[in-house]
Parts: sequence; C-alpha cells; structure tokens
Amino acid sequence: MIVRADHVAGGAFVVFGLAIFALSGDLPFGALSMPGSGFMPKLVAGLLVVLGLALVARASESGPLSAIDWSDGKHASLVFLITALGVASYEHLGFILTMGLMLFGFLVVVERRNFAPAVLYSIATTLIAYATFAIALKAPLPIGPFGF
Amino acid sequence: METTLASLLHGFAVALQPDNLWYAFLGCLVGTLVGVLPGIGPLSGISILLPITFGLNATEAVIMLAGIYYGSQYGGSTTSILMRIPGEASSVMTCIDGYAMAMKGRAGAALCIAAVGSWIAGTFGVVVLTVIAPPLASLALKFGPPEYTALLVLGLIFLAYMSSTSLVRTLTMACTGLMLGMIGIDNMTGHFRYSFNLAELGDGIGIVPVAVGLFGLGEILATPSTKVVGEVISPRLRDLLPNRQEWRESAMPIARGSLLGFIIGIIPGSAHIISSFLSYALEKRVAKHPEEFGKGAVAGVAGPESANNAASTGAFVPMLALGLPTGPITAVLIGALMIHGVAAGPQLVSEHPDVFWGFVASMYVGNLMLLALNLPLVGVFVTVLRIPYAYLYPLIIMFCVIGVYEVSHSIVDVWIMLIMGVLGYALRKFGFDPAPLVLGLVIAPTFEQSLRQSLIMSNGDYLIFFHRSISLLLLTTSAILLLLSAISFVLQRKDWRTKLAEAEAGEASS
Repeated sequence: MIVRADHVAGGAFVVFGLAIFALSGDLPFGALSMPGSGFMPKLVAGLLVVLGLALVARASESGPLSAIDWSDGKHASLVFLITALGVASYEHLGFILTMGLMLFGFLVVVERRNFAPAVLYSIATTLIAYATFAIALKAPLPIGPFGF
Repeated sequence: METTLASLLHGFAVALQPDNLWYAFLGCLVGTLVGVLPGIGPLSGISILLPITFGLNATEAVIMLAGIYYGSQYGGSTTSILMRIPGEASSVMTCIDGYAMAMKGRAGAALCIAAVGSWIAGTFGVVVLTVIAPPLASLALKFGPPEYTALLVLGLIFLAYMSSTSLVRTLTMACTGLMLGMIGIDNMTGHFRYSFNLAELGDGIGIVPVAVGLFGLGEILATPSTKVVGEVISPRLRDLLPNRQEWRESAMPIARGSLLGFIIGIIPGSAHIISSFLSYALEKRVAKHPEEFGKGAVAGVAGPESANNAASTGAFVPMLALGLPTGPITAVLIGALMIHGVAAGPQLVSEHPDVFWGFVASMYVGNLMLLALNLPLVGVFVTVLRIPYAYLYPLIIMFCVIGVYEVSHSIVDVWIMLIMGVLGYALRKFGFDPAPLVLGLVIAPTFEQSLRQSLIMSNGDYLIFFHRSISLLLLTTSAILLLLSAISFVLQRKDWRTKLAEAEAGEASS
C-alpha cells in the first residue's frame, strides 16, 4: 500500500481530536438545556475526528507522501533554529544583542554571506529598528544585562 | 439617504483631519509595498504592523490597517506585470496577461490600466458600502443568539464552499481554529480550558501570534532565497499612458470586474482571490477574441485587477455591519478594533460614528492616494524589488518577533508564533489553506456563546434554530451549499473551484 499525504494528515487530525477528548476529562459536557464548558470542545473534537477519517478515506486522491518536496527543509530548519534561539534569549539578552545576533545568524549561517557585510547589515538594521520602536514609537523593548 | 449623506460629510470631516490623512497615506504606502514584495501578503503585513497602532486611537488605527489591505491589492499587480510573480495571491490572474503585455513593451500601459481599474473599482465599492452598510446594520440589531449562530454556521459553510481546496480540508482547518479559540477561561462558567497552568493562556490564544506565525513565518520557512527570482522589467515613465484602443478595451472589463468583485467580496471566503479568477473567466467568455487571452489581452488585466479591489471593499460590508469576518484579513481588523475597545457590528454605526464614517470616508481619500502613489512611484517600487530576498526575510522575522511581543509583552506569544510558523509550513506541504484556521479562531468565542445561549433560551430544544425565520433561512442556505458540495464531491466533477486551485498552483510553480 502506498502511504499518501492525506493518510498522514487525516491521521494527525484524528489523533488531535482524540487528544482533545483525553484532555477534556474534567470539563463538564452539561445538558442541552445547560451546556457546560466541555460542550463545544467535545463537539468540535468529534467533528475533527470525523473530518480526519474522511481525509483518510479519500486519501487516494492525494499524492504519495514521498512525493512531497522537502528540498527547502534545511533552510526551514535553520531559520527555525535561529529564530528559536533568538526567542529564548530575547528577554535575557535584550533587544539589541538578540536581534543583532539573530540577523547575523541568518546571513552567515543560512545565507552564507560574507562576514563583514553581514556584521554591518545586522548592526545597522538592529539600531534603526531600535530607534524606530524604542525611541520614536516609545514601545518598551526588552532590556539586556548591559542596559540596552 | 439624507442622513447617510450628512453622516458621510461628518466622516469626511474626520478623515480629512491631518493625523487621519497621514495614517491613511502611511497605510496605503505600506500596503503597496506589502503587495509589491513577494512573500508578504496583506494578512502578515497587517498582523506585523498591528502593534504599531496601539498608540493610536481606534479611527486612526483602522484607517491605517485598512489602507494596508486595499493598498496591497494595488501593489500586487506590480510584481505580477513586471516579474510574473504574484506579489499577492489575488494577483495570480494578472500574471498571465500583465506579463505578456510587459513582454510586448506595454508594461507601463498594463500598470496604468491596473491602477486606474483598481481606483474605479475601489471607489465604486466604497459608494455601495456607504449606501448598504447602515441599513444592514439596523437589520442586524434584530439578531438574537440563534440568528448569530446560524449566521456563523453559514459563514463557515460559505467559506468551505468557496475555498479552492476541498470542503473537508477547509472545515478541518476551521475546526482546528475553533478548537484553538476555546483555549483559556470559559466566559460562561469560569473554567480554565487547556491552559496547562500557564497564566498567559488564561486569556486564550491571540489572533496576532497565530496569524503572524501561519502567514508570515510559515511563508518564510517555505521560501529559500534561492527560489526568489530577482529579474524585473523596468517600465519607462513616458510609456505609462495606454493608447486609445487599450482604454476602449479596458472600459467594460473594469465595469464588470467592479460589480462582480463587490458582490463576491460580501460572501465569506478568500473573496479577493476568487473574484479575480471569476472575472478573468468572465472576460474570456465574453471576449470577441478569446484566443488573445494569455498573449497580452488588456481585459485580462483590467477585469481581475478591478475585481480584487472591489472585493476587498465589499468584504468590509459584513465586517462593519454584522461584525462578521468574511476572511482572515477582516478577522484581524475586527481584532484590531477590539484591542482599541471598539466592537465591530451593528452597534458600530450608532455608538462609534466617528470610527465608522471616518473609516468609510478615508477609503475614498485612500483610493485617490493610491492612484497618485502607484503610477509616478512605480520606479521606486521596482527598486525595492531589487533588494535581495536573503537580506529582506531576516528583517521580516525581526518585525514578526517585535510585533508579536509588543501586543502583550509576553514571550509565550512569541513561542506560539514560532509553533504556528512550523504548523503553517507543514500545512502548506500537505496542501491545506491556513486561512480558515484564523477565521475559526476569531469566531470561536461568539460562536460558542451564541450556540450555548440559544440552547439555554430554548431549554435544550435545538429546533429553536428552525422556529425563527431568519435563522431558518440562513441554515437552509447552508444546507443547500453543503448539498452542492456533496454532489460535486460524489460525482468528482471539476467545477470552478478546482480550476481556481489549478490556476493558483500553475502560477505558483511557474
């Protein structure tokens, strides 16, 4: 049997729906005359399971799972990783350090750009963004250990 | 009618204040840039810039954000015509004949026809909006919980029916959105739902991290810089004016596109995308020389460009009059109004006339600004297109992080954005459109509350939805749409939605 894209997608939605049922144990369903806080979530979770099964049932219309093009996967993983590192350090290192390093990471690690233009671009754009948001728009940005 | 005119004059008094003019201009300029740049759609543009409006009042904020929306419809044509890359999804059809015209040395004329058509259609849309939104809002004041439940069901079914992906896929996305919208405290009982002891999730998941993640970050994850082509045809300023023949050929397509686009815009779904497809199909059907389509037919540019602008204005009718989002963009705009303490819906006209009429009047002004911006500054926008994507997307990610964090200064929101980015990337790979998810998220609280209130009102009798004429009418329409979808599903017939999906896929891969 060829595993198709909708076998996986439909299966994922069935699992998601069942997980909601499992997590909704303590939420009362109530009665039709007085629906409880678990009424809608369980209704929607049920629908998700049904729709997931419908996807699996009609999976032959979708392409094989192996036909999905993952050639951009390396780019996506690197961008995700650098962004995640940036998010993790945002409130600890502050805006300027985090954003400067994050932009530098994108240009050097993901895009393989030359060191000097990458440093220049990262510093300049971070400082312009800081001036725009923190100074001109008075938006409070996270402050790092060095006071910026 | 006299009251409407007097209110509109009041709206102009609001819209022509220097501050509001400035924000309308800023919105139109940013919107044009958002439309011009491939990879950033109006939804991610509005979501990213939403936090910037927190320091503004509600009128200024909505004027600026709406300017980004309809401005992006103008800007989207530039990349379609000059690069054969749709800067915005609704410009897919313009790629075909717009680029063909550019290859024949008529790039300037194609840009001018697109801009003038957009202006006429946008202005036509605002005139009709001015006339029909207030009476529709008065009618909606008679709606109770059962009518609202039925209206939201119809909205979801319409969205699924109009979607270019399948009904099952769209409903699955909408249900996922509804599910995410139920995270947090239950308004009616005070129960915490799926918050995993995170205080930040008590208020639920915000629309901004979800929209920015799915559409902004998700798009960037799926677009390596090596796939972004940078070749641009530069039009000369003196070639911008179309000749007499081209004006003649564009007149009727603009008129038809304006009318068709506005009607489709009112219907839930990705109206601005669907309208341009249908307008192209209509023009090809009525053309004396259909064989010219694909080789630089003027009607192939004028019709779709007018239709997508009229549709973007039409989408404001249910948003302003009923508080009903017809798509993710109007959903974000409703969210923006709510952040400023203004609820979109029937009470908007009576309780916040400054916001409503100021916004409507600003669209007349904004459309004029866009016409003035788009033609003389086309050279500037072409220069922007030459910025390498490798330098552009890190900047967009930085704005995504700032934008999401600034909404409530919560790092949890930024993590949610990141998770949504990965989800958006995966959904694209598996052929799901994430737009219904955002719509489901926005309507979840209203939908749940009105459904539960209806059942409590009727002491658990679900026939309440069939005993009241308006909700019966709305549910019957939903049933008919489901039946139509089921027929085409069972017969596996290729209808216009399948053709739209094929056209979108074809342009995306070319």
